[in-house]
Amino acid sequence: MLYVELLIQGLIYGCMYAMIAVGLTLVYGLLRILHVAHAGLFALGGYLGLLLTNATGSLLLSMPLAAGLVGLLGMVVYRLCYQPILDRPPYVALIASIGLFIAMEELFRLIFGPYGLTYTHAPLQQLFRFSGVTLRAVDLAIVVGSVSLLGSLAWLAKNTRTGIAWRATVDDPQMAGSFGISVLKVRYLNFFIGSALAGIGGIFISLLSNLVEPTMGGVPSYKALAIIVLGGLGNVGGTLIASLVLGVVEAFGTIFIGDYLDRDAIAFGFLILVLMIRPQGLFARS
Amino acid sequence: MNVLLDVVDVTVNFGGVNALQGVSFQVRDGELLSLIGPNGAGKTTMLKAITGVVNPQNAKIRLDGRDISRMPTHRRAQLGLALTHQIVRPFRSMTLLDNVTLAAGHQRIRSVFRSMVAVNRDPEHQKAAVLLQLVGIDDHAGQTVTGQPLGVLKRLEVARALALKPRLLLLDEPLAGLNHIEAERLADTLVQINARGLTVVMIEHNLGEVLRISQRLVVLDNGRKIADGIPDQVMRMDEVRAAYVGKEKQHAAS
Amino acid sequence: MLIYELSLATVVCINIIQAIGLNLITGYCGQISLGHAAFYGIGAYTTALMAKAGFPGPVNLMAAMLLSGSVGAVVGLTSLRVREDFLAITTMGVGFLFLGIVRQQERFLGGELGISSIPSFGLGKPGFFGLTLILVILTAAFSLYLKKTWMGFAFEAVADDEDTARVLSVNVSAYKLVAFALGTAMAGLAGGLYCYFARFIVPDDFGFITSISVLSMVAVGGIGSVYGVILGTVLLTLMPDFFRFISDYKLFVYGALLFAVMRFAPEGLAGLPALVSAKVARTGGAP
Repeated sequence: MLYVELLIQGLIYGCMYAMIAVGLTLVYGLLRILHVAHAGLFALGGYLGLLLTNATGSLLLSMPLAAGLVGLLGMVVYRLCYQPILDRPPYVALIASIGLFIAMEELFRLIFGPYGLTYTHAPLQQLFRFSGVTLRAVDLAIVVGSVSLLGSLAWLAKNTRTGIAWRATVDDPQMAGSFGISVLKVRYLNFFIGSALAGIGGIFISLLSNLVEPTMGGVPSYKALAIIVLGGLGNVGGTLIASLVLGVVEAFGTIFIGDYLDRDAIAFGFLILVLMIRPQGLFARS
Repeated sequence: MNVLLDVVDVTVNFGGVNALQGVSFQVRDGELLSLIGPNGAGKTTMLKAITGVVNPQNAKIRLDGRDISRMPTHRRAQLGLALTHQIVRPFRSMTLLDNVTLAAGHQRIRSVFRSMVAVNRDPEHQKAAVLLQLVGIDDHAGQTVTGQPLGVLKRLEVARALALKPRLLLLDEPLAGLNHIEAERLADTLVQINARGLTVVMIEHNLGEVLRISQRLVVLDNGRKIADGIPDQVMRMDEVRAAYVGKEKQHAAS
Repeated sequence: MLIYELSLATVVCINIIQAIGLNLITGYCGQISLGHAAFYGIGAYTTALMAKAGFPGPVNLMAAMLLSGSVGAVVGLTSLRVREDFLAITTMGVGFLFLGIVRQQERFLGGELGISSIPSFGLGKPGFFGLTLILVILTAAFSLYLKKTWMGFAFEAVADDEDTARVLSVNVSAYKLVAFALGTAMAGLAGGLYCYFARFIVPDDFGFITSISVLSMVAVGGIGSVYGVILGTVLLTLMPDFFRFISDYKLFVYGALLFAVMRFAPEGLAGLPALVSAKVARTGGAP
């Protein structure tokens, strides 16, 4: 039973990682930027979701609203921060992004205080039992929510005009541009969707621990960076699988080698191990 | 004449596409050989396989009798292979002179630890200046790479390759992008360099210059060798004409 | 000098050594590292353990350099296997791995509580500052010398375009490894000095934030320029102090500044003169 519980716990975390990592890998695929400030948008999602829920009493209403706002801010981040420095060497955007993330983290601390906020009535705390395994409603919501969101995105990407234009641009921006697709619009769309997903990821984690705090974005996002490398940078499908794999590896790792390495070290140790065996990541596109 | 480079059975696959299939040819010491063929024939891939930039699925490559098939690129360069790129790749952070100086210092940087105690760059600067003069861009020596016209950068590639003091010079379309006069001048320079004893293998689409200066031709088409011999004979062969004319017509039509 | 100013000056010196080391890897050789603090940490922990075992200070500092440099060369091996963006994440991973190991190692490394009551170097505070100052000068001089050598020239080529460097007979792998070994050895030295300075170390001193701070010092100063890096380090180390009057906002200002420098002057402080003269030239030389 322990193994089943570990597996489930790993998958829940994996889903959450996927919500953050998809945005990162989209940004990387299109702009070759390691978008660390994504972590700030993730935390912002958590804050907005919690504040709106506390104000309105409805999570169902607050979630899309928060996601939309975070998505818009993502577009602003692209326009103001990345677009002007795209032709610089990659470390420039990377460090700018880190600076932006630190500033955002600090802003949350200054505005909302260092100790974090909790839900007045934490939603989705009901317990379910399935043949010996106990789950909270929030666990189920995270899995169902991320699978359906990412699934419908995949469907839209395959079956709508915008989706097809978007995929073409990710594959080959120059070619797409010569076919009359507005690369700029696709970039905005990318930042909107990626950031909105991260925002929802932030809400998920706030529900899981009934807490939002200024530093909540850091570690999950660093791991998401590891995930997009494992997934073969820019490869969305690979990123999803890598998220789940990493979640499960962490869950089992903390039980079996937790005495020697903490959770973060297990995740990154796994990353380094994989890269030494497969330098192009688990699921690289040639 | 001795065989300087012996290329046997080179096969390269890129994701299921056969770029080269069992191509063999020899380069004799002191000759000027041109590797020609329509676009996509595998010429650039061949040069990259010779220098080790591309890893062939199968190949036996000997330089001066020595098997270099498994050596890393920098070792092959140290043994005397120099390559110029079809699409110019200068060091953009350096001046033209420094681009050539670095290559002229190939002995200095051969041992990592000795490079740490070697400071003097004067002899290499002088060698580099001479080479820039040879290819006719010495008046640009102190300028940075950014903003230089293609003609200058093409010649920089050649000067940089020569600075390695190679046994064999591999040139990938050195004349492309140059105007008529520039191309003729650089081709003449290549003949001069060759006359001084340096063996040259060149990929070039400018057939006029190729026929004017080459001593021998190797023709590739669709990853296979279809001809090998002295220019007049090769250009009369039906297969070569078919490969060329057919492709040229396609080109003209498209 | 007052005790407080003396401490601050010592910290500045330690950070400069660390930043010059990173500049060797990132600025000279073009290999990004987001895990520099791990080598700083290896140096500090090595020194702490050896000092507690009774070895003399100079020996411990040498050992710190040697061990950090050796581990750095091993990590450098990864840079031969993975491409640029992967390297940033891999080195970040090395940082977290180091931290994770130290945190869980309570018997030898003190776990979360770290190592305390480390013996003093034995020079007194002014004397120790003198030592770090001498070491800063040596490190900077070595770094400036290196730029002039053929090794520095080869680094430049690797940083610019490693494929082309290979074709021009540069043994790219060997040069990268040496850059990592030298740069991380300097971080190890800085860590050893920090250990003697603080005489109490905890894992968090060597976390991701530290790696980022060092990278920021290098980038704000101007990647590749030794003088720029020194200037950047002095500024960023002292900045929280300048901004003491807005103490609560200092990290916010730090992040915003980091962003602003990269956004508006990506060449860093070292590139400012050129940036300004270009602006002046564009406006027709009007003052």
